[in-house]
Amino acid sequence: MNRFWSLVFLMVPVCGVATFVVAPYFQIWFPHDISEHGRVIDQLFMFILWLTGIIFIVTEGALVYFTWKYDGRTNPEPAKFSHGSHTLEVVWTILPAVTLLFIAIYQMNAWADAKMRKPNVPITAEVTGRQFNWDVRYPGPDGELYTPDDIIRTDGQVHLPANEEVLLVIKAADVLHSFFLPNIRMKQDVVPGMEQYMWFKARETGEFDIVCAELCGWGHYKMKGRVTFESREDFDKWLKQKSDEQNAMTIAQTKAE
Amino acid sequence: MKLFSTTYCVMVVGVAAALAGCGRPAPPTFRLDMTKIVANQIIPKHQQAIADILGAMFGTPDEPYALPETGLDVRKLKMAAGPVWSDQVGGKHGLYRRQCAHCHGINGDGRGPTAMILNPYPRDYRSGVFKFKTTYNPNQPSDDDLRTILHNGIPGTAMPSFAVYPPDDVDALQEYVKYLSMRGQMENSLINYVRDELNFNPVTGEGDDLDPAKNEDQRKAIKSMLTDDVVAGWKAANENVIRPEDSKLPSADRPAKEIAASAEKGRELFYGTKANCLKCHGPTALGDGQQDDYDNWSKATKKFEDETTALSASIKTLMESMASQQGDELEASRNDLKAKRKELAEREEVIAQLLPPRNAIPRNLREGVFRGGRRPWDIFHRVNQGIAGTPMPGTGPASAGAQGTLSEEEMWNIVDYVRSVAFEPASRPQMKPIEMDAIVK
Repeated sequence: MNRFWSLVFLMVPVCGVATFVVAPYFQIWFPHDISEHGRVIDQLFMFILWLTGIIFIVTEGALVYFTWKYDGRTNPEPAKFSHGSHTLEVVWTILPAVTLLFIAIYQMNAWADAKMRKPNVPITAEVTGRQFNWDVRYPGPDGELYTPDDIIRTDGQVHLPANEEVLLVIKAADVLHSFFLPNIRMKQDVVPGMEQYMWFKARETGEFDIVCAELCGWGHYKMKGRVTFESREDFDKWLKQKSDEQNAMTIAQTKAE
Repeated sequence: MKLFSTTYCVMVVGVAAALAGCGRPAPPTFRLDMTKIVANQIIPKHQQAIADILGAMFGTPDEPYALPETGLDVRKLKMAAGPVWSDQVGGKHGLYRRQCAHCHGINGDGRGPTAMILNPYPRDYRSGVFKFKTTYNPNQPSDDDLRTILHNGIPGTAMPSFAVYPPDDVDALQEYVKYLSMRGQMENSLINYVRDELNFNPVTGEGDDLDPAKNEDQRKAIKSMLTDDVVAGWKAANENVIRPEDSKLPSADRPAKEIAASAEKGRELFYGTKANCLKCHGPTALGDGQQDDYDNWSKATKKFEDETTALSASIKTLMESMASQQGDELEASRNDLKAKRKELAEREEVIAQLLPPRNAIPRNLREGVFRGGRRPWDIFHRVNQGIAGTPMPGTGPASAGAQGTLSEEEMWNIVDYVRSVAFEPASRPQMKPIEMDAIVK
């Protein structure tokens, strides 16, 4: 081995760490978090990032140190092999096991909040993924889905109220999709034939991205939409407007949206 | 230093391969509709002339062009056409190829690489026939109709909504769809012109010249084809929008009772012989009536395939009869056989490229998914003028001033029934989808 190679290997931890350090300055880090629970998700991510990051730097450092110290040219002595150490093996089995167990227990509450403790609120909307669009059905004034007053939108734009608990039903019409709201830190895979729920509370109003996070076919890349969080009054006003448009007896212009 | 030299070799080979792969592929070109070319036995000389004329009138997929007569905005066309790239400020170019071409194809023939796996097949724009529109059945769609489709997508199909894209992009795409459609219609007119007006021999490949640059008559004929056959329909589209009579229009805030009464009348019409909806949509509105018909696009493919089968059979009969022939008669049959075999080979080549014909399945109205839109207005237009290019007939007047099968009032009754049918208890699914809660518990 040449010492040149130990320097090449050194570039792996250096570039790896540098990527994470500069990412926030190039806007390739987390999208703006507007959700109430997003802080917990981000903290979990950062905790695991730091943990794995430190271990990564230490192991890479050891690798570089050994390739530098024991390069073939300056070390004519042949390598010695040992048949392992029982103590060491026990240590490096137990340490990761304990760490993984700790992570599993540490994140449990966040998982339960996001996926198991469904709030007891009426359904805000039903979102159906189909190749390659997100169709939305709002329950309308009677609060019940699949009744004549439902409001159905197929233009890939979801409106939701901010500052209150939102409960969505997510469905798939054809294949696997994944409804992903990056700014809400929520992602829910959907399986055709199954009803999944998703709940969250947005702290801010504004327009954000919806993306499909499960490769669902050749048009996966174009399966994007926009979610608009607005105040309850604006949301109700919007629902009324769309309901009127849906029942309108004359042409509704689509251009001026 | 064996390791180093091997690594070096790998690097050299890798760089060379990367450089070789960097060559720009040849720009795509518009292709002629070989179904029509082969069916009419257009000779190569005329094929080239048609391609040249179309090239002069419409340009290429990378460099679109439109004559002022077409009324198309070349600036918009250029925005939608060409290869996919993004400029330094993030402007997106090559919109059609980015968003549409993989289904609708470079030619707008609905035969992009992913078309085969779609049901329904993507639209072939070249005939200028569009399903969901507010104009009379044989007319072209209005600008608003195309815009509505781009805005809402087509629920129940693979056509997505483009509402989240900048309005200018969507406008450019809409213009490009019209452009591809006009180009296809012009191609069709030119093929018909060659078939009907020029002399040619498919066996020898010889025939009259088609050269509008030299021949004044041909130039005039082509010009009138463009203005009369192609552009006129599109220009008139915005004026051909059907406006239901205001006096017959149900009010938007009718009480539920009134809607129910109207829907009840609609139900009687739906299952009655006058409107005869049940013939296709079935006695249960599940779309389980007549299911063996085809839409125009599949019908054309079916016809081409049937003709090919007949040709293949006629070759067989000819060969059998040749066994007993002699002299001049045999010579004539030999030439005939040669010509037929050539056509058969050409036809088989074309069939390999076509999408297998599929039956037009009437809509299951109990699902409550309406491809052309679910507003009463949208459904009224489906009932009134039917769906162009499909077996769905209109029950209203076929053109301005004509007499329809049903009165507008009756059509509005059907609209009310169709809108309510998905909410009847019989339409509700028997089994609820599996709920995650049940599994967790």
